[in-house]
Amino acid sequence: MSFTKSPQVFSSKVTEIEIGTGSEAVRLGGENTLPLYSFDADTKNPPLVGIDFSDKGPDTDIPGVAAFFAGADTLGAVAKRASEAEGASFVCFSLNSADPNGDDEAVDVSVAKCKEVADAVTKPLVIQGSGNAEKDAELLGAVAEALSGKNVLLMSAVEDNYKGIAVGAVLAYGQKIAAESAVDINLAKQLNVMIGQQGVSSDSYVMHVGNAAAGYGFEYVASAMERIRGAGLSQNDDMLQAPILTPLAADAWSVKESIAPEEDFPEWGPAEERGINMEVSTAMACLASGSNAVILKHPESVKTVAALVGELV
Amino acid sequence: MKKLFDRVWDGTDQMVELAEKALAETIAELGESAPAVMPNTAYNLSCYMAWLGKEIATLGDLKAAFAEAKAMNVHEPRLGNVFEAGKATFLAAETIEACRYAKDPDPYKGEYHGHLTDAEVRALGVPLVTGDIPGFVVIVDPAPSDDAAVELVKGYQSRGIYVFLLGGIIDQLKSKNFAMGIGVRVVPVGPDPWQVCHVITVVHRAAMIFGAVKPGDVEAFDDYSFKRIFAFVNAFAPVRDIVVGCGAGAIAMGFPVITNDEKDMWPVPKSLLIQPDVDAFIDTSLEARDIKIKITNIDIPVAFSSAFEGEIVRKSDMQVDVDGSKFDTFELCRSRDVQDIEDHKIELIGPDFDKFDAGSAIGMGIIVEVGGKDMQTDFEPVFERNFHYFINCIEGAMHTGQRDVLRVRLNKDAYAAGFRAKHFGEVLYAKVKSEYEAIVDKCQVTIITDPDTLAKERAEAKKIYDKRDERLGSLTDESVDIFYNCILCQSFSPSHVCIVTPERLGLCGAVSWLDAKATHQLDPNGPCQVVTKERVIDEKVGLWEDVNENVSKYSHGNLERVSLYSIMVDPMTSCGCFECICGIEPLTQGVVIVNREHGGMTPIGMSFPDMASMTGGGVQTPGFMGHGKQFISSLKFMKTEGGPARIVWMPKDLKELVGAKLNASAKALYGIDDFTDMIADETVTEDPEELLAYITEKGHPVLTMDALV
Amino acid sequence: MALKGLDIFKLTPRTNCKECGNPTCMAFSMKVAQGTAQIEDCPHMSADALDMIAGATAPPMKSLAFGTGDAELKLGGETVLFRHEKTFVSRNPFGVNVNAANVDAVLAEAAKIDYERIGERMRVDVVNVEYTGDKDGFLGAVKKAVDFGRAIILEVSDAAVAKEALEIAGAAKPILNGANASNYKEMSEVATAAGVALGVGGASLDEIYTTVKALEEAGVKDMAIDVGSASAKDAFANTVQIRRAAIKDGDRSFGYPTIVNVGKIGGGCSYKETGLASLFTLKYGSVVLMSSISYAQALPLYGLRQNIYTDPQKPMTVEAGNYPLNVATAASPCALTVDFALTYFIIAGEIERSGVPVNLLIPDAGGYSVLTAWAAGKLSAGSIAKFIKEQDIEGKISSRDLMIPGKVAVLKGELEDSLPGWNIIVAPNEAVSLVKFLKERYA
Repeated sequence: MSFTKSPQVFSSKVTEIEIGTGSEAVRLGGENTLPLYSFDADTKNPPLVGIDFSDKGPDTDIPGVAAFFAGADTLGAVAKRASEAEGASFVCFSLNSADPNGDDEAVDVSVAKCKEVADAVTKPLVIQGSGNAEKDAELLGAVAEALSGKNVLLMSAVEDNYKGIAVGAVLAYGQKIAAESAVDINLAKQLNVMIGQQGVSSDSYVMHVGNAAAGYGFEYVASAMERIRGAGLSQNDDMLQAPILTPLAADAWSVKESIAPEEDFPEWGPAEERGINMEVSTAMACLASGSNAVILKHPESVKTVAALVGELV
Repeated sequence: MKKLFDRVWDGTDQMVELAEKALAETIAELGESAPAVMPNTAYNLSCYMAWLGKEIATLGDLKAAFAEAKAMNVHEPRLGNVFEAGKATFLAAETIEACRYAKDPDPYKGEYHGHLTDAEVRALGVPLVTGDIPGFVVIVDPAPSDDAAVELVKGYQSRGIYVFLLGGIIDQLKSKNFAMGIGVRVVPVGPDPWQVCHVITVVHRAAMIFGAVKPGDVEAFDDYSFKRIFAFVNAFAPVRDIVVGCGAGAIAMGFPVITNDEKDMWPVPKSLLIQPDVDAFIDTSLEARDIKIKITNIDIPVAFSSAFEGEIVRKSDMQVDVDGSKFDTFELCRSRDVQDIEDHKIELIGPDFDKFDAGSAIGMGIIVEVGGKDMQTDFEPVFERNFHYFINCIEGAMHTGQRDVLRVRLNKDAYAAGFRAKHFGEVLYAKVKSEYEAIVDKCQVTIITDPDTLAKERAEAKKIYDKRDERLGSLTDESVDIFYNCILCQSFSPSHVCIVTPERLGLCGAVSWLDAKATHQLDPNGPCQVVTKERVIDEKVGLWEDVNENVSKYSHGNLERVSLYSIMVDPMTSCGCFECICGIEPLTQGVVIVNREHGGMTPIGMSFPDMASMTGGGVQTPGFMGHGKQFISSLKFMKTEGGPARIVWMPKDLKELVGAKLNASAKALYGIDDFTDMIADETVTEDPEELLAYITEKGHPVLTMDALV
Repeated sequence: MALKGLDIFKLTPRTNCKECGNPTCMAFSMKVAQGTAQIEDCPHMSADALDMIAGATAPPMKSLAFGTGDAELKLGGETVLFRHEKTFVSRNPFGVNVNAANVDAVLAEAAKIDYERIGERMRVDVVNVEYTGDKDGFLGAVKKAVDFGRAIILEVSDAAVAKEALEIAGAAKPILNGANASNYKEMSEVATAAGVALGVGGASLDEIYTTVKALEEAGVKDMAIDVGSASAKDAFANTVQIRRAAIKDGDRSFGYPTIVNVGKIGGGCSYKETGLASLFTLKYGSVVLMSSISYAQALPLYGLRQNIYTDPQKPMTVEAGNYPLNVATAASPCALTVDFALTYFIIAGEIERSGVPVNLLIPDAGGYSVLTAWAAGKLSAGSIAKFIKEQDIEGKISSRDLMIPGKVAVLKGELEDSLPGWNIIVAPNEAVSLVKFLKERYA
């Protein structure tokens, strides 16, 4: 008596979206199976890994990151180096200096940085704003204009600023955006509906449905993603079919397990090792739950996760 | 009197004639192959592009296309022709300007702005499309005085309205040293009516950039400008025919014209409005184009934040004590016709707080009148209930009570900071307008401290409260066409969906059918959605195909069927917020109800937490159900199983709370008087055997009903 | 379809005899339906009723216990494919692979990991002893594994060697993992004789399925399925399909816990092993074995597992009490939030980031988030005051600044009344604003 396989293939699929231009452009989504279930049907576009770096320069507190970027002393050089990281399909540039509660760098300065980065890489580009909704509305609009024609992905549009970003980045300049909501299927859907009402077509946005580091409430992330995928695929909810993009470097590298100095917890061993494991663990958990792409910081994590995706799909 | 049609045609003829002349001169000078392009745009001569589908590159192209524009100027008295003539006026205007730019790419040398680049259009277009800029006005020709010009433009600026200026008003503002430019959102476009084309192109380019409208798709352009671009025109007397021609074009695009010119002018509802009072231009204009201005700040001398919600004003610190136990007090939200409301009018009838001794008790009434085309009287109590929250968020103020028994206190610090009676009005005005933006167009507030007026108005308010209660009483599940769902709790109970009906409020007790209705209206994508009830499966059990489909959809497939009136057959699920839980007591075949506040045991052998752990989380548990307190006396409570006559036990406090209404329901349903006396409570027993004995002694109706299990 | 409480109630004698320890038959039935009481606790159930209930309430996937004493582990018994549908039941133990050559080194490393996280003891749960051809070395390693005192898996497909190993380890109740299409008869005899569960593997899903069927027919009940180690892709495909067949398609022959050995498919890279172990924690690995586990790997993996196996309806809580952060002293201000673990972690994290010494007070708030706890009456001025009194906060802490969550600003006045002498401060609504708030106020 043999086992009868019953592949779970859905009649709906995750929307496919493209970022970047030319031969290195990448596509997210397109699958009609649950995440990584390549045994059920062809996973049209395997999940992607992106590498993140800040406009404040690489995180030199982490020896491996410092070593990787050693010698890259302009933003352009850093960007180019990042784009060469093994396993990285795209580059994510984070405008941390723009945070109005921090350095509050002027928009034109941030825009100039984005241009320098964009000129230095050929891989697709994701730009993360300051994280402040009000500032990002202005900032991401200006970045969209400056990088016109590059088909970049801007993150994130949130409930408080989605209108300006949807209109200013997608409609005005044809860029892609991420719709960010806080780990809740209904909030995610509501934001997608509202972005759609601005005239943004479904192939112009991805979802960033929130994240947490492993051990820090990841169950909410897992369930939110699984429910969103379930609704999009099995119930054909076309407002929940956008690909999911999850930047997790900031979360993974800010928890105690990743940053506590070895002196405080000698038995834990070097912080960098802990951080890489935390980043890899969180990334694989996201991919298993439904992320179509993750954004990581450490080149070792990027390499590992990309290699695992290659083996699994 | 000259007819409006004739004025339009004369105006169009004038513009066409000027264009023809300019075109001939320019071609004579530069030749037909010379470029006819505006600088820095991918949408050259967008009037031609939008309305005629023409791409113009040279003066020769322009000449050919202009012939088509002229053909649109047909003098036959039909409305459509007037609109076409209006558009022809704009095409002619664009032709004049194209000739000008053909000769000199920077014709205005900074004195006027002239043509807007694509970048400028995008920068203006984004906030315009998103509504961050509520709209724009084109002001033509000089105002009656320089001061009036400044006042008007300032008024628009303060409301976030973008301003384009044409003609003499620019000189008026210059003489007053008024700052103008793209940066301050007051743009001096040009000295003559034909520079209006630089504003019209903004609309066309917005439609092509943001609305993906294709060149030549006239209908789509009209639709876009009408639905998405909130623009209007203010034209000052004397309005020349050439401006009237332009006005026809504006109206054709959906932009009303407001003028103070009464001579030879013909009002057209919603399109051409005559407002002799220039001070009233802004209100008239905004209303004509349906523009609502967002309220962002509250004009009071103390802070306003939810952080002050829990503040208590103690007797020793009290400056004002509005005391409903001693004086007349009330608060009322009332809808009125928009025309009868003066937006942001705050009126005080009676003495202000500084006329009373510190700490003295007074009476006070608050009337908030709101209007809007989507306003319904059903929303009045929904808004009114939030006055409590709004007033509590004022630093130094405290509010308790509702309707006509209030207690409002203001502390000495707030008073010293200058807080007076009208500031309550400011807060309520700002909050009602911003929170209910989607519904409320206009709002005015009256604060009453005068005892006689207060007595009179309180009596009036009472009548309204009575009417509301009557309306609530007459609202039945059968009398409405739709129910609402509520998924507010899904963040922690992902598979639960509440179905809210007039006779069954949300199980948290906080969301009535009217609340759900208002929530839906205010936020159509929000947590409350319409549930139709067209396909009945079983009305007694409360089963509808529509309801099942809705529950399945909104529970993301976790629930397939939900009955509204039964606790045995597919009972409604719970999130965990329920005020009460009822559960079957098998010995009596009745139900026990226990409320959250009750800490003790019940005759079922389970306490509230025991029962709560089984019924929460969106799981169907036949025989048990979470519900709101007010549902107990509903005629729909367990209707399938025989109704409230099934209730055999409730905590004493709960019995007292719902007793009167429950007795009334029992009387109506079964003809039983004082039904609650038959219901046991914790002072009678927590044991099932004793419970049975008790209700047997009382002759409880459940004893004659069919067994449940 | 699981039985509802009311269905079970109908089968009870309805006498409210209380012999089961519950006040009424109804209360008992509801607990059985919920899984918090066993139907056998009722001495008056008829045999028919018991059979019916057992059949209806049996999960589609069997549970399996192995190990003894405080090393005992329960596997399987899962009823859903996604945790939000109900909950995942048996958290997946993490184990290490040892063999004759590396047993000492791996166990020495594994021994280091022992810590507590939100009420759960975290350590290496399983030692998987692999037979690599050196029998004496293998038996020696088995002995060391027994002495190590954790649950054991014996990875050996030679029935004779297995028999000898079980003589050493049988009392520790290991899983004998090594049955396949060619040896399952002998292996099952050895396992049955020793009273231990049998691990079944094979070259393909088909082969595994056939072998399990044969073993079932032979009356073997306690089994686990080794998903194989040909590749990460195969192991993942097998693990998912086995679980899906059991739960979605109701095929009970695949209704057994799975053993996933990421130590063998991770290509010798510890980061990859961490990644794969994370993947299988979410997707259906019942036991996850690694080539070794360092603290750096354990920290995310155990945290992730704790998250995923949290019952969605019973959130993790932290114990009530005072948590001094940033070396707070008695003079440092107090901040208060709820005992919901996620809230605690977020708030504690933000306070730590601020560097401001704060006594973080955690009352018992039912494990709810701030607003939910408040709405449910679990976080009120009364309950906070009671907590302050019971914990003798006023005796232990001299500061009288108490910051409360912005979302319950409404409690301020009442708190001032119930906690005279305290300065009640309304903190921001959102945790992200805390750093700025604390720095401005106290730094």
